[in-house]
Amino acid sequence: MDTYIQVLTNGLMLGALYACIAVGFSLVWGVLNIINMMHGSLIILGGYLTYFAWLHLKINPLFMLLIVPPLLFLLGYLLQFVMINRVVARPVLTTLTLTFGLDMILYNLMNVVFEATPRRITMDIGSVSFMDVVLPGDRLLAMVLALALTGILYGVMRTSRTGRAIVAVRMDRDAAALMGIRINRVYAVTFAISAMMAGACGVLMAVTFPVTTNITGLLLGKAFVVCVLGGLGSVPGALIGGLALGLIESLSGNWWGPQNAVLTGSVLMIVLLMTRPTGLLGKAGYE
Amino acid sequence: MRLPKLMGFLSLASFLTFASLKPAFAADDVIRIGAPLALTGGLADEGKKQQVSYAMWAKRVNAAGGITVGGKKMKVQIIEVDYQTDEKRAQQIAEKLITQDKVNFLTAPFGSGHTKVVAGVAERYGVPVIASVASSESVFNQGYKYLFGTLSPNGGITENMAKMFTKVQPSIKKIAILGREDVFPKSMANEMKASAERAGLQVVYNETYPVGILDHATALSKIKSSAPDWIYISGYTQDLVLARKQMADLKITAPIITMITGPAYQEFITALGPVADGVTSASWWHHSAMYKSDDVFGSTQEFYKDFLTQGKGDPDYVNASAAAALITLQKAIEKAGTLDKVKVRDALAATNIMTFYGPIKFGPNGMNQGRELPIVQVQKGKVVPLFPDVIKQGTLQIIK
Repeated sequence: MDTYIQVLTNGLMLGALYACIAVGFSLVWGVLNIINMMHGSLIILGGYLTYFAWLHLKINPLFMLLIVPPLLFLLGYLLQFVMINRVVARPVLTTLTLTFGLDMILYNLMNVVFEATPRRITMDIGSVSFMDVVLPGDRLLAMVLALALTGILYGVMRTSRTGRAIVAVRMDRDAAALMGIRINRVYAVTFAISAMMAGACGVLMAVTFPVTTNITGLLLGKAFVVCVLGGLGSVPGALIGGLALGLIESLSGNWWGPQNAVLTGSVLMIVLLMTRPTGLLGKAGYE
Repeated sequence: MRLPKLMGFLSLASFLTFASLKPAFAADDVIRIGAPLALTGGLADEGKKQQVSYAMWAKRVNAAGGITVGGKKMKVQIIEVDYQTDEKRAQQIAEKLITQDKVNFLTAPFGSGHTKVVAGVAERYGVPVIASVASSESVFNQGYKYLFGTLSPNGGITENMAKMFTKVQPSIKKIAILGREDVFPKSMANEMKASAERAGLQVVYNETYPVGILDHATALSKIKSSAPDWIYISGYTQDLVLARKQMADLKITAPIITMITGPAYQEFITALGPVADGVTSASWWHHSAMYKSDDVFGSTQEFYKDFLTQGKGDPDYVNASAAAALITLQKAIEKAGTLDKVKVRDALAATNIMTFYGPIKFGPNGMNQGRELPIVQVQKGKVVPLFPDVIKQGTLQIIK
């Protein structure tokens, strides 16, 4: 029994992180119809900034939550405004190729500057345990923060003027433009928010995982699966998709061994694509 | 910044990534050795280790006037090309080195998988290729005539570990094995299972994890519930760092924790800090060995001293094996007295020499003969050899 509680908590903690990985990716895909191939690399960039700030300047990694996300927001805004906006109305393959190219540049730059050695922040903050179930402190913290960040994003989307503008553009771009919404700016802000979430996720990942460029593709893959499971372009969708994937991987890993955990997630993704292509929470509009 | 400017900057930056692809010039009195290396990408650290050792060797050889080929001294030139840890690119680059750069000989990149790719190309063109970091027999059982490798087969490692650990700690009864689904780690996991069973241990957990996994919590939780006395995990550094950390977080421990080959690399110890302590592993070489030889280094100590001047810390088995690979090639060229590829290949096959790295004698499949490989343990942040007795510096410490 204790093993099951442990497996379920492992799954939830991993799932929250998956949600955090996917939420920005889902937003850009849903609103801009861009599959952002850079997303994994942006997360790792956030991780590296956190790591080196900790290593050289002795800055507490959690403090970097105040610094890294704004920096990536800026980077995301510039990328969208200067480059991606030029092709944003083109077919999805064009934007995909552009972000793929940008990803190769960012990935290789990081390889040259940081090298691919797995590095880790050795700040062990212990674990919390009740009965035989152990909750590692850093993961617990990462989970809470990931959920909080996702919650804040949800709040911003629902209540702020910018959030409503993003939702309006997602629903009907032409109508939104006629209402006086500046589409290009909304696009840039959306992409920037996505990059900001990637940065925040990078900070959280740096606390719990070794930082290395080796896993950028892996993170992107997880974001894909979460989006398909949860439904595109919605914050609750990413949350549900992430938690579902975490639980699926954890339970199937326990039953059939870790070699089949990733497989099970992918099989479910295919089943869902055939039976419910909009995902668990997906719908035509946004929120 | 205007777009063209920004694009210009970015393309310049990415161009710099490929800057190491500079064309090699050809001269007639130089022996050209092609080296596809992973200088960027996932295996960049490992590729750079080979690079450093190749340069150390070449510097010493050229300082001595070069390699004697049929009475004439010829300088050596290493033609390095970065294949960016991309298997397909490794293949293209091996072709390019042979057909365009006209290299006389080739070295193989890091790891069993990429070695296999380059060896396949070399075989087609009949170019001798010497591999310094491939230890899986599945690379050498392809019937290749031109492939030679300086690492010994990894078969003996698990056997010696099982024997030694059960002798020192007879209370060990149960072992849990977790291996990565990949050429080398998987074979190490399978071999451990066989060795453990022969040593009378009960295998309470035996699973593999896929390459695309981000987290080990589930596997580790299951291992915990089987209460093993010995936890054995194989994989690459990033898997092992994560697995060891998650074990500490989830309060999973065992008297013996073995990770193949994490502690053989300094990166593993640096990334983990105190939790690396107590982890046992195996390596193919340790710098406390005391081999004397008539190669350009002369002895293990001399190599060690020379390596320290590079400012890269202690050398590991990759550094040593890479230098030994080129020494072996050098000896074969000298013996053949020509750069003829077939004759050098025959001389390589007949190799039976002592190097600073240890004895090198190739079996019929081109792999270095088996020998007792070092078993090591991290103790107070240092790698301490426990076995074999000639290099032993400490005894097995049980993890509390």
